[in-house]
Amino acid sequence: MLSLLTGVQLQALPIDSNTLLSVLWVASFFVFFFYGTRLQTYNALREVGSGLNKLKVMKDKARKEAIEYLTNVGKAPADPTQRVDQFLDYVTIMPVDMDPQGLVGKVDHVVTTNNERVRGEVASLIGQTNPVSVSISENLLEVATSLNQIHKIVRHYYLMGKKTNSYFTIVQLQMLMPLIIQEADALLNAVDSFKVGQPVGDGIGAVVAARYMVGKEKRAVAKDTVMAISEYKGRKLYVLKAEGPMAYVGQPGLAIKKVVDELGVKPSAIIMVDAALKLEGEKTGEIAEGVGAAIGGIGVEKFQIEEAATNHKIPLYAILVKQSLVEAITVMRKEIAEATDKVIQVLNRVIEEKTKEGDEVLVAGIGNTLGVAQ
Amino acid sequence: MMSSVPSLDKKSKLLVYTIEECPICGQKTKRAFQVGDYVTKDGAKCTKDGNTTKISLVYAEPAPRQSS
Repeated sequence: MLSLLTGVQLQALPIDSNTLLSVLWVASFFVFFFYGTRLQTYNALREVGSGLNKLKVMKDKARKEAIEYLTNVGKAPADPTQRVDQFLDYVTIMPVDMDPQGLVGKVDHVVTTNNERVRGEVASLIGQTNPVSVSISENLLEVATSLNQIHKIVRHYYLMGKKTNSYFTIVQLQMLMPLIIQEADALLNAVDSFKVGQPVGDGIGAVVAARYMVGKEKRAVAKDTVMAISEYKGRKLYVLKAEGPMAYVGQPGLAIKKVVDELGVKPSAIIMVDAALKLEGEKTGEIAEGVGAAIGGIGVEKFQIEEAATNHKIPLYAILVKQSLVEAITVMRKEIAEATDKVIQVLNRVIEEKTKEGDEVLVAGIGNTLGVAQ
Repeated sequence: MMSSVPSLDKKSKLLVYTIEECPICGQKTKRAFQVGDYVTKDGAKCTKDGNTTKISLVYAEPAPRQSS
């Protein structure tokens, strides 16, 4: 078709169409040989730029939602916009790790300081003291901060790549962009669940623990963490979870350490129930059993639990409910919620198999306990 | 290089439900989630035996597809 057209149009020229096509082919070969990388860079820049715009829309939306919540639900006495903008740029500087001895304690100290600062900041921003609203405000601000950070980092590499015309910087960013957008989208979706106090997928451990705690006397064992004593087939169960229905994750590491070290409890087993990220292809709500400390996060809580278990030679068992990142931080899906009864069956079986009558067992429901009381 | 940025507007709509369970007879009632609901909160009276139910689950499931 092309040769026909060019042949018709170029009849008047002194060269035939075949020669012209050959010249064009050779010319395009040289163009792509010398400028191919640049063309790909332009294409990658365009794609990354489009992703960056999406990230900007997301972070602006999360910021707006946080401000609206603080104003409308939190009854902020003054316009919180300026304080929220300052909050979004607040940084947490992790301790130096050149000398790793005592590093976990230092990280714990920095993280605890940051958490207290966030709570203090929120308390000064809003005009009410309802703990659920305060905790939701904290979570909304953290989501907005995370999205702000993601946008800033991506923008930094985008502009660096553009300025230096660095093909490799831009292409790496282009390849990572779908994953970054997916994570940012999950964070933004979490806002909708947080605003109305709906349990999130990560709260499955808390839902299971709550089943054992209902109607029992509760006591605080660490910050935002409560424990109740229950009974199952002659075993005394010490069940703990973060205090709900606030959007807390509590301090299960410190709580387990305290129960074992200070309260004189001698558990024959520590059983932890938590949400776990599924691999692609795995079904949501699938249950996996294992050994070890089932807890995510920065590693401080995990370290404390492992240390307490090792010092007292207590076996650590894990029951995990599989879910994706999006499912973990957005409203709990039916498949995850319906896994509750199955997890309880597994938990009871583990208790029966690994302990005997008269033993003490520590059960920890790990995760964000928004919308799950006890 | 073959990557593409996922679109934001292709989300499946989810409906959120609250399950109220009678602690005596075990009867479960499913209703739409209301702000203020949380797991273990007291629910309505059980239609079978009149006991106070408790919220046992809050979950989301995809909205049924509408036929065009």
